Amino acid sequence: MSKDSKMRATINQKLTEMGERERLKELLRAKLTECGWRDQLKAHCKDVIKEKGLEHVTVEDLVVEITPKGRVLVPDSVKKELLQRIRAFLAQHAT
Amino acid sequence: MKMDEISMSSLDNSKLEGVAQDILSDLVEDACLGLCFEVHRAVKQGYFFLEDTDQETMRDFEIVDQPGVDVFGQVYNQWKNKECVCPNCSRSIAASRFAPHLEKCLGMGRNSSRIANRRIVTGNNTNNKSESDQEDNDDVNDNDWSYGAEKKAKKRKSDKNPNSPRRSKSFKHKSGMMGPRRRMDNQESPRMLMKDEAFPQ
Repeated sequence: MSKDSKMRATINQKLTEMGERERLKELLRAKLTECGWRDQLKAHCKDVIKEKGLEHVTVEDLVVEITPKGRVLVPDSVKKELLQRIRAFLAQHAT
Repeated sequence: MKMDEISMSSLDNSKLEGVAQDILSDLVEDACLGLCFEVHRAVKQGYFFLEDTDQETMRDFEIVDQPGVDVFGQVYNQWKNKECVCPNCSRSIAASRFAPHLEKCLGMGRNSSRIANRRIVTGNNTNNKSESDQEDNDDVNDNDWSYGAEKKAKKRKSDKNPNSPRRSKSFKHKSGMMGPRRRMDNQESPRMLMKDEAFPQ
């Protein structure tokens, strides 16, 4: 178990160090904007904000409401592409 | 090196797949968090609902795509809106004449430095005559020692003539007046002929 978590930590460190994490983030951002994920989530945000009231809404509220929906709404094609990039990175640096 | 060791030891396809999935979900969560921050800021700054408009207003601002009409649905008129209001003297001037007018009015450009000088001189004359007089005296003094003094003095005098900057313009006007008159002369001869024709009858 500790070995496993250690491995994960090293991989994460490597991802950040190499700048791959930042690149992946940027790619994901672009893809999600392109496919309308942002707009969908924004619409959902509007509902949440109207429900809670403009003054009382907090970042925590938004995160709680938005994150599950955001996860579901990511299109499979985007997921696949990202996973491929991640796998390639892992294969390149873990062997 | 250490990572290589660890990964090599646990190079299990399913495990690696799990790691990849975790990284992906991390990234997605990051994106969500970023969006949340963005929306929250927009709400607190008050610009989140700015793009919310009802259908009717949207229809009012739709882009018009018809021949002979611009995107706002207005008829393009070539001769409309061709007058500019001068910010200095607040007269409205035809756009084609606006640049020359502004040059003269604001006191910039080639000739206008002279005009501006004249303005200052006339202003001084009305306000404090003694100073301008002194300036004139200075000019006289200049003539005493400078080479070709007389010529210079003449030049200065002509500069101080209030009409001097406009001289060229007045010439233009004269020539402009000449044009029609000449044409009149030309027109007169047919008329004369007409009279001549009229005479025998």
